[in-house]
Amino acid sequence: MNSTNNVENIIEVLKNNFELIKTETPIKNQIAIEINEQDFQTVLSFIKNEGWRQLTLITCIDWIKENKYELAYTFMNWENSVTMVVRVKIDREEPEFKTITNLYPGAKFYERDIHEFFGVKFEGNKTSEKPLFLELWDDMPPMKKDFDPLEYSKRKYPDREYKVDFKTGEGETNG
Amino acid sequence: MAMNDDFNELNINDGDLNDSLNLWDKIKNIMRSKSIWMLHYCTGCGAIELPPTMTSRFDMERIGMAPMATPRQADVLLITGYLSVKTLRRVIYTYEQMMDPKYVVGFGSCTLNGGIYYDSYATINKLDYYMPVDLYIAGCMPRPEAVMNGFKKLMNMIKAGEANGWKRYQNHYEDYYKPNQIRSLGEVRVKDEFHE
Repeated sequence: MNSTNNVENIIEVLKNNFELIKTETPIKNQIAIEINEQDFQTVLSFIKNEGWRQLTLITCIDWIKENKYELAYTFMNWENSVTMVVRVKIDREEPEFKTITNLYPGAKFYERDIHEFFGVKFEGNKTSEKPLFLELWDDMPPMKKDFDPLEYSKRKYPDREYKVDFKTGEGETNG
Repeated sequence: MAMNDDFNELNINDGDLNDSLNLWDKIKNIMRSKSIWMLHYCTGCGAIELPPTMTSRFDMERIGMAPMATPRQADVLLITGYLSVKTLRRVIYTYEQMMDPKYVVGFGSCTLNGGIYYDSYATINKLDYYMPVDLYIAGCMPRPEAVMNGFKKLMNMIKAGEANGWKRYQNHYEDYYKPNQIRSLGEVRVKDEFHE
């Protein structure tokens, strides 16, 4: 079976069934599609039936200029070894999304991770609001683009103060 | 720095900590310097420099050092590299479990001033703010030669009675180390799912 034809066929099938905002093939055997928020559950159950049974990764991207979060779900199909990335953009101010633990139970910890680092709430996943990596965190979620790690580090973890013996410009003959 | 104003900088290095040393303590110090057990607890990237230091190439055991499994039997705690806030809580637990006299060696620039993680929200920038450090070994990371040199220096310091960070920790725990730990960590208690 020719794999490039295969990928094109898959995109064709998806285009016939759903409204895709964008489709890409970033590398060979990889498909990235961007879909609307309301189509999300149906697309996921469709591709799960088509063979993408393994959830590889969920990650979140902060598009601060558009004021949107993008969730990227990566799935793997072991029958034709094609990776599928499903992207969906959600509101950034009050980020909320539906959980996919009903389809992919392995998403439980990824959703918890995204809730901790981006503040996205996953409706239906009760454990997603528990802290995972950060112990006793007391600030905004740290992976948001408007979080300033340097300021936080200076406030919480004091730096060593050094004596300055030499200043640039001093002692140079011709400036 | 303006942010440090609410915490007075205390000079914890003043005062003679060796004023009560008698002859037997001095003899004990010489013996302690000859046989050091280091705790096998590694953080960050310095852990990879220790196997060559321990094994046949540089062979730490010829100068009387050996790895030890539990904190209660160990003399020296090595902080090998960057220390995240989560790890610092465990390191403080570990340090407090060790028997006196105990020594701390900080490896690399990350324990000195944060190194390349100076702006990280998850790593500390200055180790001796939270626990007494007897010796720093500079480098990113220090090579085994530097590590061996540092250990030799530590032995000389123990022999001369200069490595008394554990006394400083006892004397200044309430007024320096504890408030600093609470300031950065919130609570020193380990709080995760496995301890609930």
